[in-house]
Amino acid sequence: MTVVAGYRAGKVGLSGLHLAVRLARTLDTSLTVATIVPRPWLTPSLARIDGEYEHWADHLAADSAKEAQRYLYNLASGIEVNYFHRAHRSVSSGLIEAVDELDGEVLVLGSLPSGGRGQVVIGSTADWLLHASPVPVAISPPRYRSYTGRLTRLTCAYSATPESVEVVRRCFQFAERVGAPVRLLTFAVRGKTMYPPEVGMDVEDAIMEAWASQAHEILEGLKTEGVVGEDVVLEVVSGRSWQEVLDKTDWADGEMLAVGSSSRGEIRRVFLGSHSGKIIRNSPVPVMVLPG
Amino acid sequence: MPASSISLTEQMLRRRPVIGAPVAYGASDHLKRSIGTFELIMFGVGSTIGTGIFFVMSLAVPEAGPGVIISFIIAGVAAGLAALCYAELASAVPVSGSSYSYAYTTLGEAVAMGVAACLLLEYGVATAAVSVGWSGYLNKLLNNLFGFQIPRALSAAPWDPDPGYLNVPAIILIGMCALLLIRGASESARVNAIMVMIKLSVLAMFVIIAFTAFDTNHLKNFAPFGVAGIGSAAGTIFFSYIGLDAVSTAGDEVKDPQTTMPRALIAALLIVTGFYVLVALAALGTQPWQEFATQQDAGLATVLDNVTHGKWASTILAAGAVISIFSVTLVTMYGMTRILFAMGRDGLLPSRFAAVNARTMTPVNNTVMVGIVAAILAGFVPLDKLADMVSIGTLTAFIIVAVGVIILRAREPDLPRVFKVPGYPVTPVLSVLACGYILASLHWYTWIAFSGWVTVALIFYFVWGRHHSALNAKDRR
Repeated sequence: MTVVAGYRAGKVGLSGLHLAVRLARTLDTSLTVATIVPRPWLTPSLARIDGEYEHWADHLAADSAKEAQRYLYNLASGIEVNYFHRAHRSVSSGLIEAVDELDGEVLVLGSLPSGGRGQVVIGSTADWLLHASPVPVAISPPRYRSYTGRLTRLTCAYSATPESVEVVRRCFQFAERVGAPVRLLTFAVRGKTMYPPEVGMDVEDAIMEAWASQAHEILEGLKTEGVVGEDVVLEVVSGRSWQEVLDKTDWADGEMLAVGSSSRGEIRRVFLGSHSGKIIRNSPVPVMVLPG
Repeated sequence: MPASSISLTEQMLRRRPVIGAPVAYGASDHLKRSIGTFELIMFGVGSTIGTGIFFVMSLAVPEAGPGVIISFIIAGVAAGLAALCYAELASAVPVSGSSYSYAYTTLGEAVAMGVAACLLLEYGVATAAVSVGWSGYLNKLLNNLFGFQIPRALSAAPWDPDPGYLNVPAIILIGMCALLLIRGASESARVNAIMVMIKLSVLAMFVIIAFTAFDTNHLKNFAPFGVAGIGSAAGTIFFSYIGLDAVSTAGDEVKDPQTTMPRALIAALLIVTGFYVLVALAALGTQPWQEFATQQDAGLATVLDNVTHGKWASTILAAGAVISIFSVTLVTMYGMTRILFAMGRDGLLPSRFAAVNARTMTPVNNTVMVGIVAAILAGFVPLDKLADMVSIGTLTAFIIVAVGVIILRAREPDLPRVFKVPGYPVTPVLSVLACGYILASLHWYTWIAFSGWVTVALIFYFVWGRHHSALNAKDRR
């Protein structure tokens, strides 16, 4: 078992490596930095372009490993770090193969550095992996840093649909494995005020209030049914937008948020739940997507 | 549920406490008192124009002849007086909401149930009525643009004077609005402003074009059915003034309500009434009043066709109507789902009405139910029957509001009121009289249907609601 971190020189930056180190520490396992480089054409060309290309790809792999090594020199003290590279025509499929081959437990990706304000930005590679990965995928917000700590708490985003009970179960399994406490969180996002306001401008607040108490009831129900332990913290956070609720939530240092990818039969690998997608994009802490 | 220990009268008169009203969740995030006079006028005009004017002429002119102009003014005055009273009641209750919530916190549970019955009738039937009107304009637009239209059998109700089987476009419109509401769509203040502009522009265009064909001879026989006809037409027309109370419901966010509120109400009322009277006058000048009865679908567009002997003007008007009536349908339907929600929350309806769907975070049960009921009404009942039912519900709710203002002044004279009706006690009394006059001239069959509906609602309250009211838990303590 190992934590696999997807890394390529100059592209996704440092935040993913930081998260990967934290997860490796938490899971008491090794870290493998995987670099997927483009696969050259197999047909040799007279102009030797394929040779140049291959040369470039090899360099890229070596550079990435070197760069990661430099970063990890101090960061990953006490952790066994391996480097792995593979030529594949698609980065995401390459990473999935790497996870398979290395017996990866979690796949870690960095956010694109273009994202402002510390929120998770997913590029096309990550986007595809979130849907297709057989193991949990963790994504760091840009500029995420972690020097010594382990995971302090796992927050499980619970959407109060029948399917999301399964997500809660998976969350607890993972948390048990790493020995972190779990908090269950439901988000209540207020609808926009309708204009003209024929029934008053506060009515959406009343709906939010009803939703919050409904969510509390359901969460309490999970306790009674024994899905979650008696000591688990249940919270409902409400606000006017996904961004606001995620900013408003109290996050502990070293906390990670877990969401489920929606598990509706065959299409589960195509669609993240629409809420999960919004949560991932607005989260100020790393997000882990648990496959259905 | 065990029988409550308090008496029936106590149950009927108990009031919903203001504490426990939605304050905790996000209400504090409001930009308090941010709405100025202009925006408030926009609310009023936006929610009022469009509900009726595009199709009310063909219903009201046959009842009153050219005297329908007076009917518009009578209905406007009644609506304005009622809206002033509404604003005071709204300002005495520190929650914003519909007149159902105001009645519950000030006049007691049984009255609240009665008001709710009126409001459900108003919003539910108005949704159906405007979508039937939309169907007419859609057909007109299709016909003008592409030369075909949905066949009569599939675009008219079976009890229409010119019957079909089912009004399919109206049902589709309601379905689309229901879907949008389920997904949590809402109209922003900006969209509202755009809609207001669309409506006012097409109506202005109508007035200008229609006046070019103005012939005073058409106004000669001014009141062929006398005062009674004018009163009865005012009842039908009143339907096109619903929505003016939207101004009052924005109460807690209005800057300096004591001056802003009446100014905005009166300005909105003047704009709306002015436009209605101009539209009516312009339309009446183009043709003998007897002809309106034959122009049930897309009435105003048909008038433009006759004036211009071409199609461009009626195409613009029909397009404007199709867009703006769509937004009106969305807003009225939204209103209905939220009133049902409030009743479910208060325990006067089963709690499933207050259930919020986890995926969409909207009250999906309500929306589906409202959609089904409105679709059935729109599909099978013709427009003229619907319009009168909307008016009777609204007028009754307005009378209760005006009476409520008087009761509350007598019972709790010291209650802080951000806005007080000018000219108390004359204004609320006049409001009751004006609404009462219009009510009295409505058709007997409207009265029977209305009484039946309110009776059903009150029986439901006595049999079920009073035992399940959320206030029971408090009373037992």
